[in-house]
Amino acid sequence: MQIRLIGAVLIISGCSAFGFILAAAHKREVKTLRQLIGILDYMECELQYRLTPLPELTRQAAMETNGVLRNVFGRLSNELEDQISPNVANCMHSAMERESDIPAVTAQCLCSLGQTLGRFDLQGQLNGLEAVRQMCRRKLDALEQNKQTRLRSYQTLGICAGAALAILLI
Amino acid sequence: MRCAWQSYLKLLPQWLCIQVDELGKDTLQELRLRIGQPPALVLSNKTIYLKRDICSEDLRHVINAATQYSPWTAQTIANGYISTHGGHRIGVCGECVMQDGSMTGIRNPTSLCLRVARDFEGIAKGTENIYGNILIIGAPGSGKTTLLRDLIRQRANSKQGSIAVVDERGEIFPYAGDVSYFAISGSIDVLTFCSKPLGIDMLLRTMSPSCIAVDEITLQADCDALYRAGWAGTSLIATAHAASRTELFNRPVYRPIVESRLFDTLLVMQQDKSWKVERM
Repeated sequence: MQIRLIGAVLIISGCSAFGFILAAAHKREVKTLRQLIGILDYMECELQYRLTPLPELTRQAAMETNGVLRNVFGRLSNELEDQISPNVANCMHSAMERESDIPAVTAQCLCSLGQTLGRFDLQGQLNGLEAVRQMCRRKLDALEQNKQTRLRSYQTLGICAGAALAILLI
Repeated sequence: MRCAWQSYLKLLPQWLCIQVDELGKDTLQELRLRIGQPPALVLSNKTIYLKRDICSEDLRHVINAATQYSPWTAQTIANGYISTHGGHRIGVCGECVMQDGSMTGIRNPTSLCLRVARDFEGIAKGTENIYGNILIIGAPGSGKTTLLRDLIRQRANSKQGSIAVVDERGEIFPYAGDVSYFAISGSIDVLTFCSKPLGIDMLLRTMSPSCIAVDEITLQADCDALYRAGWAGTSLIATAHAASRTELFNRPVYRPIVESRLFDTLLVMQQDKSWKVERM
């Protein structure tokens, strides 16, 4: 009886933890996207008023943020300084490859950013940054729609699934 | 002789960098890269062609290195060149992007000319007793800018007041942060990457210079600005593209400054990079 009880508790807590992890990942995705929008704002200001070159700009952007984006932009800056690749998209790709923890939606936006950077004159570059920012906002809006309900659902589903499994198996 | 050689090498793809360093460290004047052709190293006494052909990737590498992947830092590309660290200049040819009748950039570059900036201290020796406004003339690549740089230094060290320089292309006294790549001493104020007409007017109003120096007057607007600055209690030093006095007098763009006798002395560059003095 005691073993069954322990088994049930383990199953329920395992499934609940899974639900909570899903909810946390969702929160993290939203947080990283917000950070990325902040970086894009910063880059736009720097470009508009100081015409900062890209390696310096990405290094400064890295210093302005933290977490996974700090690593990505820091690496991108190094890649650009070392001229690893003939275009920024490849440098961004390479910087992202070494960071396994990037949320999926943010990764898409970073790829788009890599494709616009360093290809145009100032006005074109500012337009490119704006396009990526719009993309981030759309993704963010989609993630934030019914955010609270969705987060609660993940957590509740985890607990309920755990309980159902425990009943079925034990 | 000073040269920001490492800055120059940083512009080149790895395979080219090694060979250029071996062959041209002390004597390279310019490197010509054309798509589908081998690189040509123009040395002071001969031209060497390397074996491997240049491809578009190589040109893109050079342009990325020069602009740091940031086309907005190289607005001069609309004038067909890019100024880089160390005062080196890259001439660009390719498909021009035109907007409203004026050129805004070059896409798909097909050939590049990478000129090496070198500084020779002391080559202006002998100009100490030349007073008034000085115009240095010579063919492209004859050493006008090098002489101008040393002349500026010499005047600045002679304690005749401060010299203000409009360095439109960042070639006369290029800086890396707080440090000049080339020797700079005395009272020299440098306005970098500013157009000559705007720069001359600004310096005249704000820096109280005893002398204003500019490189390569090529446009009517440059001549007009010099003309405006003339006889204003400030002496002038400038360089112009003309191989001889006759060529200078025949070029319509220089007519106002020639006819008005704005300059008192001509320094004419010779083929061996020496110079001779002529009265205007």
